Amino acid sequence: MKYSIVLLSLLSTLALAQEPTGTPVEKSMDVVTPAPTTSTINVSCPSPNNECVKEHAAPQELVKPATVQEGEILEKDRSLLISVVGQGVAPMNTASPAQAYALAKRAATADAYRLIAEKVKGVRVEGQDLIQNMMVKRSSVRTSVTAMVRNAAVVETTFKEGLCEVEMEITLSHSQFPQ
Amino acid sequence: MRSRDGNHSLTLTIPSIIFLLNSLVLNAGEFLISYQYTVKNALLINEQLDISKSMQKCRGIESQSIIFENKYNNSLEKTIADNSEEFTTFLHQLGLIVEHKERTINSQNSSTTRLTLKTTCFKVDFNDTLVRISALK
Repeated sequence: MKYSIVLLSLLSTLALAQEPTGTPVEKSMDVVTPAPTTSTINVSCPSPNNECVKEHAAPQELVKPATVQEGEILEKDRSLLISVVGQGVAPMNTASPAQAYALAKRAATADAYRLIAEKVKGVRVEGQDLIQNMMVKRSSVRTSVTAMVRNAAVVETTFKEGLCEVEMEITLSHSQFPQ
Repeated sequence: MRSRDGNHSLTLTIPSIIFLLNSLVLNAGEFLISYQYTVKNALLINEQLDISKSMQKCRGIESQSIIFENKYNNSLEKTIADNSEEFTTFLHQLGLIVEHKERTINSQNSSTTRLTLKTTCFKVDFNDTLVRISALK
């Protein structure tokens, strides 16, 4: 009888100890978020400093526009005209205004080429967030594009208050892209 | 050796033809040209144009070409330096490789764009008055 009472008291104390005492504490650092099907999100938490690195990446796929307007799709019997405006800044320490204009125009041309490459080929986007003690310590987004652009034509160049704008056009046809 | 009419020596005709051709095209050669320029945060930071005479014969057919005035006694470097704007526009038409990298760290953005023309062989014909530069493909 004595032993049964002792056993009962022990069981009751154990049951009390297992019950939650206050509000539940979220241990989000240890939880790995399930990745969505469309993109990859990796969360790695090294234990000593309570740090988490959250990476968003589309490793093999390029990010494509969510909505495609009518006329933006390259069709077999129609050519597609893409027009962009690149911007470039004139450097401060130049020998003459003409030199500043030439350098700004070069920079604007490169920007226009980049915009064409981004429109035609797409952009690779990689994101990384560093979270330490439940706070975002460092957030970085990296984008990149590599492409070969040929037969792009400069339509108009304007230079105003140190900013050069180059309007550039490229015509795409279906035959340029081997299937 | 005698020609068909029997009076004119064929051995004299051949050098005269060679001389005539030589006077029409004074000098012709093949050059390797590469071009690269880098823009960082919308500012041009580096531009590089390398020209060197080809040590061996290039293969390929002539595609696009550009013609300049031959002012500098068959010097391609000086001719290009004199017409640098037109020549870079010509290089752009041939096609450039665009490499762009942009990063935003804690809302601070920086970008680098690099345009490159890989080393390409060009046929250059120096005439009495003109220089014709043609890309070989």
